[in-house]
Amino acid sequence: MADSAGAPRPSSSVKLVLLGEAAVGKSSLVLRFVNNDFQENKEPTIGAAFLTQKCNLPERTIKFEIWDTAGQERFASLAPMYYRNAQAALVVYDLTKPTSLIKAKHWVAELQRQATPGIVIALVGNKLDLTNDSAGSSGEGEGGGDDANDARKVPTEEAQTYAEQEDLLFFETSAKTGYNVTEVFTAIANAIPETSLKTARGPSGASGVNRSEEQRVNLNGPRDPNAKEGCAC
Amino acid sequence: MYNLSSFVQKAQQLLDPTQGLNLSDPDKNPSKASLFQSQFRLPSSQHPLYEITAELTIPPANATQGGKDRDTGFRYAGKLHISEAYLCFSTTGSSFVQSASTSTSSVFTGQTHGAGPGGNGFTFPLCAIRRVERLHSQNFQFALAITTWNGISQDAAKDKDKDKKDAREQRITLQLAGTRQACERFCDGLKKGLRAGVGNVGRLKKAVAECYSEYLLRPEDQKNANPPDVGLGMMFRYPGDVKKLRDRAKMRLWAEYLRDNGRNTTLLRQPTFHKLIRVGLPNRLRGEMWELTSGSIYLRLENPSLYTDTLAKFSGQESLAIDEIEKDLNRSLPEYPGFQSEEGIGRLRRVLTAYSWVDTDVGYCQAMNIVVAALLIYMSESQAFFLLSALCDRLVPGYYSTTMYGTLLDQKVFESLVERTMPILWEHLVKSDVQLSVVSLPWFLSLYINSMPLVFAFRVLDVFFVEGPKVLFQVGLAILRINGEELLDAADDGAFISVLKSYFARLDESAHPKSENPKLRAVTRFQELMVVAFKEFSGITHGSITELRLQNKNSVLNNIENFAKRTAIRNLGPDSKLLNADELGALYDRFYTVLYERQQRDLILKQEQARRVKSSRPRLGAMANSHDEAVEKGRVGLGPSTSLMDYDAFREFLAGMAKWAISDTPATPRRETFPEADRGFYGSVNKKSDVMLSPWGAGPEPADHEFLRRLFVKWDAGANAALTLQNVVTGLARIKGKRDILGIITYFFELHDDDGDGKVDREGILRMSEALLFLSRRGLEGTLSPSNSTLTLSTGGGSQGDVSGQSINERFLGSVSAFIRRCFEYADPDHPNNHFASPQQKQPLVEMDDDQLADPDAFSIGDDDDDEDDLLEMESPAASPKTGPRSHALDKQASSIRLDSMSTAPSNAPSNNRRVSKAQSERANIALDPSNPLHITLPTFRMVVLADELLEQFFESSFPASFHIIEGLQSSATASSSLTTFSNLGLGAGRAVGAAFGGAPGAQAPAGGRGLRGVLDNIVTDGMRVAQEVVRRMEEAQKELERNAVPGQRNDEEDDEEDDDPAPAGKSVAYRGDAERRSVRSSDRDLLAGVDAEASDVTVSAAGTRRASVGQGSNGDNQQGPAGGAGSKVVGVEFDG
Repeated sequence: MADSAGAPRPSSSVKLVLLGEAAVGKSSLVLRFVNNDFQENKEPTIGAAFLTQKCNLPERTIKFEIWDTAGQERFASLAPMYYRNAQAALVVYDLTKPTSLIKAKHWVAELQRQATPGIVIALVGNKLDLTNDSAGSSGEGEGGGDDANDARKVPTEEAQTYAEQEDLLFFETSAKTGYNVTEVFTAIANAIPETSLKTARGPSGASGVNRSEEQRVNLNGPRDPNAKEGCAC
Repeated sequence: MYNLSSFVQKAQQLLDPTQGLNLSDPDKNPSKASLFQSQFRLPSSQHPLYEITAELTIPPANATQGGKDRDTGFRYAGKLHISEAYLCFSTTGSSFVQSASTSTSSVFTGQTHGAGPGGNGFTFPLCAIRRVERLHSQNFQFALAITTWNGISQDAAKDKDKDKKDAREQRITLQLAGTRQACERFCDGLKKGLRAGVGNVGRLKKAVAECYSEYLLRPEDQKNANPPDVGLGMMFRYPGDVKKLRDRAKMRLWAEYLRDNGRNTTLLRQPTFHKLIRVGLPNRLRGEMWELTSGSIYLRLENPSLYTDTLAKFSGQESLAIDEIEKDLNRSLPEYPGFQSEEGIGRLRRVLTAYSWVDTDVGYCQAMNIVVAALLIYMSESQAFFLLSALCDRLVPGYYSTTMYGTLLDQKVFESLVERTMPILWEHLVKSDVQLSVVSLPWFLSLYINSMPLVFAFRVLDVFFVEGPKVLFQVGLAILRINGEELLDAADDGAFISVLKSYFARLDESAHPKSENPKLRAVTRFQELMVVAFKEFSGITHGSITELRLQNKNSVLNNIENFAKRTAIRNLGPDSKLLNADELGALYDRFYTVLYERQQRDLILKQEQARRVKSSRPRLGAMANSHDEAVEKGRVGLGPSTSLMDYDAFREFLAGMAKWAISDTPATPRRETFPEADRGFYGSVNKKSDVMLSPWGAGPEPADHEFLRRLFVKWDAGANAALTLQNVVTGLARIKGKRDILGIITYFFELHDDDGDGKVDREGILRMSEALLFLSRRGLEGTLSPSNSTLTLSTGGGSQGDVSGQSINERFLGSVSAFIRRCFEYADPDHPNNHFASPQQKQPLVEMDDDQLADPDAFSIGDDDDDEDDLLEMESPAASPKTGPRSHALDKQASSIRLDSMSTAPSNAPSNNRRVSKAQSERANIALDPSNPLHITLPTFRMVVLADELLEQFFESSFPASFHIIEGLQSSATASSSLTTFSNLGLGAGRAVGAAFGGAPGAQAPAGGRGLRGVLDNIVTDGMRVAQEVVRRMEEAQKELERNAVPGQRNDEEDDEEDDDPAPAGKSVAYRGDAERRSVRSSDRDLLAGVDAEASDVTVSAAGTRRASVGQGSNGDNQQGPAGGAGSKVVGVEFDG
């Protein structure tokens, strides 16, 4: 992740939202990506945290506006406030907790129905460092060996298959070691369709309004159609 | 949601118009009690009992700072209130008497000018009052001198004369203004309260000992005493620079104030008190003052050991909340050293866990960890525990609930306030599509604790606890106002957030660094913030917040509910795909409406009960702590405190969408309908037979039938004696989801197959038929073939109008009767021997047949019905004229039914009944003979159902159609009108059933009189008679079968019958018949087994074609010819398909 790009490349902003069960490592992934840092006891996110980070692609620079949401179940009703207008989403689960994958699937379903059409979703299994195919040193973490003292509870194949079914990007990461973290964001940056980037929201570009218009139609009423009102959940 | 609120309002009016329970809208129309409680921060056990205008005089010795030149001390005019255990005085003149209007009750919501909702005055627990003397006064009729326990420990009290210098007595004077009567009444109330309070003095002393003020003001001889636990700060230092905070100076001021005005529970609130709080509390007193100003100390006083008791009680138990708490323990204010230690984390764990047990509706919500961690720096575990309770219940209600509706609501309120007070900024936010709540939500949710540096957040909390939630809004608005310029430049969420982030980081810097005035330069940004918040936004009051909350409440709750619904439905699993989205949505609504209405009713009933207890014994009743008295229930958005449906709720749920699930006797007193045990708690209340107090609310009373129980058990997949939404959806999806008649037939069969062995025994068959009657007693729905009604015309002999709907339903009775008969006919014996037992018992049937022959009407009944008897008849039309009438017994009964219901009173019914003599019944009840166990299997059942067009249509269409998921049943008006129809029909049908089963005349009359329910009861209780008639018919059919099977022997058989000599010939006939029957059965089975594979679509078309073939009156395409009557018909069905 290099911040210093040589020549100025075309830059566009991408709103990205992180969703997933509590304590799967959403904030840690963001912290690793943004500050290349890891904190053992990260305070739980209340509501949501906002961070930005640039991602340099050969052709252009993507500026991620990252919305890191609270994971606890009861905060779920706040999520629409954050994934509103998002062009990309990172749905995180914990490799050592099968229930977190179920929750992740719920989020994927929610996003597919309620979020911006065409939103790029990446499914990310975090805490790879707790498994045997611990990636930090071994490098290649694919394949998922199932040894006795392996904390992994979600086989790679299972999540991979699901991701393919739903047309999601799929990664297994470790925010602790940093393995695969940048790759996730780069892959997302690459997956954002060019067309969507051209109209990407610059500083309060008109497209933002357009998108919210689209969304209004899309919402089918469950949400307060008045998109500007913040806590329309 | 289904007029719930109006229902509740009505209920309230009924219950108590003045002391409204305010279940639906505690904000809009708060009860006097809740206003009183929130003004004085008292627990919900306290109610305003007496109030009187009074003048408080604080003698100069106690007066703060002002004593020098004012001998008279301080005087405050205000209102004196007495509750069960408290004496309260406030200068803000509000009234909580029954006659007071809402406005006089809530004036305290006006501008506080630093006085806070409590105003100047005091809130004394009665047990903290040591002595009350009546003074002689000329100006007022009554003057009381009140001496408190302030500063007098129990030991010291004994020898107080010696210690008098040390323990300054706190003595205040109250002059009551009012009529002599009013004053006396008040004094009487006070006397009573004081007497009751005496016993609590010990508890008070114990609770108060945890307050730092007791240590701070301890007498000289206890200088070596250990200070009480006032939080982790004692061990790990308090946040912030003590010098910078000028903690020492603050402490001195507070010590002086407390010495003069009483400490903790005996504290007098004077203007200085509020000023001292505004400048920030000293570290060691902070916890105590929070506890006092929030009122949580009174909760602790009320139940001092609740915290330790709760921990002990639930020790070692696990819960979802505990899992969630564990995840966050290590990440709550991790920068504070106390929370890097096991000590701090342990305290946090215990407080959060204990609270999650006492308030299971809230459990644990992220952000609570941060708030509690902050509290624990300044207070003991138990103090923090009670303060958390005060927060969740009163200060920030709904913030941490499972739906967080309070948080979302206050965000909306905040946005409206921004729009109102800073229109330009608001416009900018809208234009640049910035969501304000994205930044402001964490402010409110964590009470600014993790937004601002801790020292400043605590200053906000100091004011928040004394002045209430409006402080959060005032501070939030001030933040935006101060940063307004920069925020107007911020074009997106990111920029917006970073402006505020950097502002919070520089709160300790000078607000006016470039000012030449050193005084101005010394003002920090935080001070500026406080000034803006409380001066510029002083117009933001509790009242305006309340108003805005009310305005936005519904839209917020609707949003939450829509989200919850959407999510719940989406997560329902594969079964839910069988129902369409509208159905799922409607099911969801119905499910929760029933649950919440019931919960609400339960609450009303309980409170009504409490109110009655209270009215008889006021003191005791009021003492009963109803913790969540004012808590609003009844909406999903407020937090799904219940998501399980018990059997009674299930009945109510079904009664909302299926008319057969409505009780037949709604007009009769409700308590007679259900056994006492079923209604449990309601029993006592119900005696008033008040409609609103009905356990079923305004809706129709649901029926209670074995079928419902079976359905409930079947749906209750987890065997929890309660259904989840998932259970209900899965259950209904199986009935309604696939248009699959075989599936539904199977379902119905399984419903009655208790042990799941694929067999339904004799009892089960009877139960099935009861269920069929139960389900059809309000008429059948769905698509029933119209041709039948014209056919029945000929048998009816009644008017045209009568024919259409009822005749189908009546014919259905015939079908059910035929069903029972066939079931027994095709039943498998559990032991092969039984075949040999049966023939002997057949003989009496012959006599009955003869009886029927005597009935002239029998001949007139046409060969119309597609009842099996007709089919049999058609197969051998001319062979025997005698069999005709016999086989038409059912139709004849049906016609009699119709006639009965038209009050033409024919003689058929008695003639029917005549047939069943006692002797016959004894001989004929083979079906009930316990030595003759038999059962039917699914293929048999399926065959029997498909053999009857009406039954087939019932399973194919009317049963699934009887669940009106989306549209529900008509509103109560139409429901009641249709109920009369039901009862009419019920009467007719009742006799019909009685007739169909050959009930004795004695039993039949009451059956009609008692309506359908009576009939059903008859069926159950007179099972013997039912079965006997069934057997008779079964045997009758058997005879037919035999005749058809062996045409050549017909005459012989007839002779046998006439000979009245049963033994030898009958035996052989029976043998033959039995063998035949078995062979038919087995061939049927094979066929049905084949059908199993081909499944539903075949059957549907089969139904159509079968009708045609029957209509032709010939079985031309029936390969089996005369081999087996009943069998051939069923076979025909399958082959036609």
